[in-house]
Amino acid sequence: MIGFLTPWALAALPLAALPLLLHLIQRRDPPTVEFPAVRYLVQVTQEHHRRLKLRHWLLLLVRTLLVLALVFAAAGPSAPLTEAVSHAPSALVVLLDNSPSSSAVVQGTRRLTDLKGAARRILARGTPADALWLLTADGVARRGAPDALGRAVDSVEASSRRMDLGEYLVLAEQVLATDARPGGIVLLSDAQASAVSAAPIRVPVVLVRPAGEPPANQGIARVDAGSQPWTPEGGSVTVSITGDSGAPAPVSVVLANRPPRQALVPAGGSGSFTLGPAFPGWQRVQASKAADEFRGDDDRVALLRVAPVAAATWDPADRYLAAAADVLLASGRLRWGSDLALGVLGRGASVVLPPEDPAQLGALNRALERRGIPWRYGAPALAPAVSDSNAFVGRVAVTRRHALVPLRAGQAPGVVVTAGGQPWIVRSGDVVLIGSRLDPAWTGLPLTAGFLPLVDALVNRVARGEVALLEGAPGDAIQVPDLATEVVLEGRRWPVEGGAAFRPPDTGVYFVLAGRDTIGGISVNLDPRESRLAPAEPGALRSLWKGLRVVSLGDAAGAAFAGAGHASLQGPLLWLALLLGLMEVGLASGLGRSA
Amino acid sequence: MSASPSPLPRFDLIDPREAASLAGLELLTEGVVEGFLAGLHRSPRRGFSVEFAEHRMYQPGDELRYVDWKLLGRKDRLYVKQYEEETNLRAMLVVDISRSMAWTGAPEKTLAKLAYAQRLAAALALVLLRQRDATGLIAFDDAVRAVLPARVRRTHWNQLLVTLGGLTPGAGTAAEPALRRVVGLLRRRGLVIFISDLLLEQDLAMRALKFLRHRGHQVMVLHLMDPAEMELGGPAEARFEDPETRDGVILRPKDWAEAYRETVTGVVSAWRRACRTSGMHYHHITTDTPFGLALRRVIARPAGVQ
Repeated sequence: MIGFLTPWALAALPLAALPLLLHLIQRRDPPTVEFPAVRYLVQVTQEHHRRLKLRHWLLLLVRTLLVLALVFAAAGPSAPLTEAVSHAPSALVVLLDNSPSSSAVVQGTRRLTDLKGAARRILARGTPADALWLLTADGVARRGAPDALGRAVDSVEASSRRMDLGEYLVLAEQVLATDARPGGIVLLSDAQASAVSAAPIRVPVVLVRPAGEPPANQGIARVDAGSQPWTPEGGSVTVSITGDSGAPAPVSVVLANRPPRQALVPAGGSGSFTLGPAFPGWQRVQASKAADEFRGDDDRVALLRVAPVAAATWDPADRYLAAAADVLLASGRLRWGSDLALGVLGRGASVVLPPEDPAQLGALNRALERRGIPWRYGAPALAPAVSDSNAFVGRVAVTRRHALVPLRAGQAPGVVVTAGGQPWIVRSGDVVLIGSRLDPAWTGLPLTAGFLPLVDALVNRVARGEVALLEGAPGDAIQVPDLATEVVLEGRRWPVEGGAAFRPPDTGVYFVLAGRDTIGGISVNLDPRESRLAPAEPGALRSLWKGLRVVSLGDAAGAAFAGAGHASLQGPLLWLALLLGLMEVGLASGLGRSA
Repeated sequence: MSASPSPLPRFDLIDPREAASLAGLELLTEGVVEGFLAGLHRSPRRGFSVEFAEHRMYQPGDELRYVDWKLLGRKDRLYVKQYEEETNLRAMLVVDISRSMAWTGAPEKTLAKLAYAQRLAAALALVLLRQRDATGLIAFDDAVRAVLPARVRRTHWNQLLVTLGGLTPGAGTAAEPALRRVVGLLRRRGLVIFISDLLLEQDLAMRALKFLRHRGHQVMVLHLMDPAEMELGGPAEARFEDPETRDGVILRPKDWAEAYRETVTGVVSAWRRACRTSGMHYHHITTDTPFGLALRRVIARPAGVQ
């Protein structure tokens, strides 16, 4: 696509019609002259008319082209090059894919090393007149001179962030839009199929991809520690394997500093590892497999909470809640004790239900106020509702409920579950309020499969204030709990705002703090899609990114500015104008001489 | 004995336009012919026979043996005897008076072709009559407009002058009928002088002229052209219109000047070649040529030299 440095000069394009207009004006109403020898003129014109007419049209064409050449030359045109030996000032974004998969080793060399070498060769072709950016997985577009960006390339290491190449191309195009120079994008990537997505790109894109098939890879896709918290007796961890290889993978799982447990896990399947006993507190579980050419996905960590099960009291007459507590009691997830009151407001931690008798509602509200709970039960909400989708319970019908009203209007802290858009389960400290009684006459929840896990979570986690065991990949936006104030990773700290998104920069186990209390954790591991190294087919890529040109590493330097690089057409156009001017003089004088 | 000096100016050598402004047709013609003959030093033609016809005034160049010494004794003037053999030549002037002949590119500088043709024809007629050659006249445009049979009498000169002076531009040009008419007027072999700008159908005209030549007549074609017809000029762009046919062509003279000049040269060459091939004399005369020079070119040159 031809670009222009001073496109406003194209406004003079209508001047190209000037020769034609002058030609038409001069043709109007010539005077009549009496001349007897007209027959000689007719004879002359018959002999020379075709040649002269051709010359006239040629002259008109030459003059029009001359004006066009001058106007286009003034606009500073430049055109894409097929081979960038030299190029006009251009804008170029070097998009270097340093996602985790770039650390895979192919034929003894890391992919990233090859890609960096190609990036350096491309940047070496840049000139001070070019606008150059280096964009990597961190999403920061660094602008600089060719040598400075070359040094920046040297310092690039494989990132733990997954790169959605479609999104990064859009980002690169937005960067290019900040510069008036004609531009393009050079994407240096292994272009794994799991990383590409459609992108409406309108600038030239050159994909530089290394040759050779990637190795058959396997990685640990998930480590599931099951229901939390664990009891000190321990629990089981499920490890899933993903990747391109079909062979079973030997996996070892380590809980804290205890000896590892090992087992073979089938490709694409999962294996369960029983671990324990464990000390109470936050514990780290790491699953590892045998090393292969892509080491990044050979380990995966998970966070789990180890704590004694809640010691609770409940009213056996409260049929459904009591039944759930009995099941939890039988399975060791609950014990009798006075730490937690189930169904009523106790002295300590409590899971509170509205009283059957509305007359007792006032007393309950006053008790809540005395405990400093910023919620109270309001009037019955008569309209049936459905609970909203959330982490604790699915969508269940709510036929009867009391409105949960915050004491301070506009402030509704600790909402856990909503129904019909209104708070239905809220938490304040170690007190959990539920807007409906856990009875089918009030809600369908007791009849669902999620009822028991909900009660487990309420008594063992929510009521204890441990609400967040989160997972994610580096760079993902992870919403932290409302009470969170800080996120910590091995001494590094990030102040956060409760309820806001936190983007972990790297893999590892992050702890979420609320003041001095740890209220949750985030297990950050590589995106499992990175484990699938199979590249996308060029045809599929071209269908996703219009105008894509795919070249090998060896052709990268020459082709880079072929996408972004534009040869200046100003010089050739001025030469053309000079040539046309000479032709015009020759034709004009030729007409006068020989016609 | 030397010839008496001519009382008339040398109309034969001055610019035709200026000469025309100085004298009428008769006086101009006589001045032209007198000057022309004086420059020749002797009569252009001889051929006196035994049969006496009449006397005429002695002219410088006449042979003394034909001087009538008896008459000199009686009248004290030199006369020569003219014999009947001299009247054997019968000449016919065929003059084109079409509308194109009335055109001049610069009226203030050059005579129109018709005016020039009138004066040149008159001079030729006077020369011929003085040689005792019977001379006639046919004027034509798209038809024959005037016919004067060939006569040798002195009074015939006056009739020729009146006819020539009364010619006015006509319409189109059709030479063939006029030339065919000559055949009927010249029963014996004679001289046909065709005066025209030749803006006519060349094939038809040449066919008629060849027919005359075939009948044994000497044919002389005088191609008159205005100097402005030799070079194309005018405004930057114009519609050039034929005064006879009103056909026109729009062009820029600057663009076509050279090609036009080449075409005119080609046309003149073509006429000259065609005439030579057919044994005819051809003379290209522009209207700024002094009459004396034109006469010399037509009459004084040896036969066959054009």
